[in-house]
Amino acid sequence: MTERRSLNIKLVLSVVAAFALSMAFTWFLHGWLSERDAYALIDRAFENVEDEIKDCVDERLVRQCMAVRERLEEGYPQDVASLQALAREMRVTEISVADSKGDVVGSSEPDYLAGPGKPAFNFATAGGKAEDMMCLVTGDETEYCQPFRGNTANGAWRKFVGVWRPEGGFVEIGCDGAALRGLSRASIVDLFRNWRVGGKGGIVVTTAPGLVLSDYVEPNREGSQWIDPDDTFYWKRKEIESFPTYVMVPKDSAAVQRDVLVGATAALNGAALVFVALLVGIVISAFVRRQMRLQAAKELEMAKDIQLAALPNVFPPFPDETRFDIWASMETAKEVGGDFYDFYFTGQDRVLFLVADVSGKGVPAAMFMMRAKTLIKSIAQTGKPLAQVFDEANEALCEGNSSNTFVTVWAGEIDTRTGHVTYVNAGHNFPVLLRGGKAEFLKSRPSLVLGAMPGICYRAGELQLAPGDAIYLYTDGIVEQPDASGELYGDARLLNLLSARDYPRNAALAAVVEDVRRHAADVEQADDCTQLVIRYHGEPPADGGTPEPSLK
Amino acid sequence: MEVKTKTEGSKLTIAVSGRVDTVTAPELEAALKFGDATSVVIDLGNVPYMSSAGLRLLLSSHKTMLGKGGELQIANVQPSVKEVLAITGFSDIFNLA
Repeated sequence: MTERRSLNIKLVLSVVAAFALSMAFTWFLHGWLSERDAYALIDRAFENVEDEIKDCVDERLVRQCMAVRERLEEGYPQDVASLQALAREMRVTEISVADSKGDVVGSSEPDYLAGPGKPAFNFATAGGKAEDMMCLVTGDETEYCQPFRGNTANGAWRKFVGVWRPEGGFVEIGCDGAALRGLSRASIVDLFRNWRVGGKGGIVVTTAPGLVLSDYVEPNREGSQWIDPDDTFYWKRKEIESFPTYVMVPKDSAAVQRDVLVGATAALNGAALVFVALLVGIVISAFVRRQMRLQAAKELEMAKDIQLAALPNVFPPFPDETRFDIWASMETAKEVGGDFYDFYFTGQDRVLFLVADVSGKGVPAAMFMMRAKTLIKSIAQTGKPLAQVFDEANEALCEGNSSNTFVTVWAGEIDTRTGHVTYVNAGHNFPVLLRGGKAEFLKSRPSLVLGAMPGICYRAGELQLAPGDAIYLYTDGIVEQPDASGELYGDARLLNLLSARDYPRNAALAAVVEDVRRHAADVEQADDCTQLVIRYHGEPPADGGTPEPSLK
Repeated sequence: MEVKTKTEGSKLTIAVSGRVDTVTAPELEAALKFGDATSVVIDLGNVPYMSSAGLRLLLSSHKTMLGKGGELQIANVQPSVKEVLAITGFSDIFNLA
């Protein structure tokens, strides 16, 4: 029992552990998946954000460049100092003017201009990205913007924007980060206010010194100090057109997804567990049922052993007895039954012997048999007449016998001095009287089986045995053993066998068992086969010679 | 084994066919329900064999009807079963018709 309980505990624990493990795995997996999803989301958002900022900045700078062109068209001087002044006024870093060949003809940067022994900077031939601007000369484009990047010429970070000039050539402005941000910040501020990334995430654009330009969380935080997001966010930073830009997704919004997923998984796992538990239950119950069956079989075996041990089983039982000899045997069938035999002295010269058969099979029959056997013996040993022993035993067995189990008994009581036998037949098979090489049934009108109805008066019969006579008692397991065709062993075969010859000692019992087995052949023994034989020898003569047959 | 029951007023007839042994007795036991019948006939006309398990059921039925003040008849008993009833002494207490 304890073993089974600890097995149950172990099973429950391992199921719980498996569940916890699978949930932990699911949690981890979904955590990992949602993190991956969050970053994929952030990357996708950045593509749009980048385009948006670029468009915004480009548009702003093109406008500025057009304003510069306008001033030049109005006749603004193009010497270095003037252009430098114009650059300051226009809040750009540098201004250059190129002709239709791409040669710089005016610039706020003296390096670009032609000098002694040095040609002017030529966009078409300077290499790097400079020649991109030539699209303005060929007429393919009217305005052109380069991204913010390190300048090919001197390594300084610039964003160059050019617009064409109607008279040929183009005007180009260059902005460093500060200039660029200064010009375009106003249009960036509101750019991402209503953008959301993954529900609760968003975009923050800051300025180079770490000041908030556009914050989706607190729209009016512009200008306040930016602090990188803490670990409650999945986030990435990218510098777009010199604006440090953040796309961030709160982990809890991703985790909500995870909770839903984990919940669904828990439900699925739960269902799977119930299924597995059912399977395990089926396996265990099959195992337990088998154990119980084995246990029941073992208990039946024990009942059989107890039953056999309760019967006298040492033969000859009275080694010094010369007036009679008595032998008995019980061949039990597979299932425990309620057969028994018994014999004992009930007085100085009186021996009671009996064979009995309890109705039904199994442990109830075995228990009833023990009760019947003990009752009969205890009453018989008070020395009461045999019929009275049966009357009293019957009353006791009827009491509380709600299952209506009963027992057939044939009992004889022999006076060992005279060979006189008193017998009572409580519904049992007629015994066989073996006399002078003949075997015949000892028929008498039977009384009712014991334990069936109270108030029965049992009839006693009488019989005189001569020396050499024997009485053979048996149960119906012998005569009712079928062969393969269903034919029973039967009374005739029994009588034939017993009359065939004179069986000494217990030879008759062995011969009957053997003959019944031969008859049954491959058919399993159907019932207990119980038999007893008592042979009367008579008083030995005083001179010790062979006893003379009594002819009473 | 087969059991057929027929009720005519307070008379109940239970007709049994086939062997009554350890295997079939539980089936017969389930069928032996007398209800309010005061007169019960168990017809064994088609029962060629009856083991002690069957005898037990007849005994139970006998006691039940006795307890109700009713009457139990065991009818059409075949010779082989009649012999068993005789040997066991039950023919002395049963009402055999």
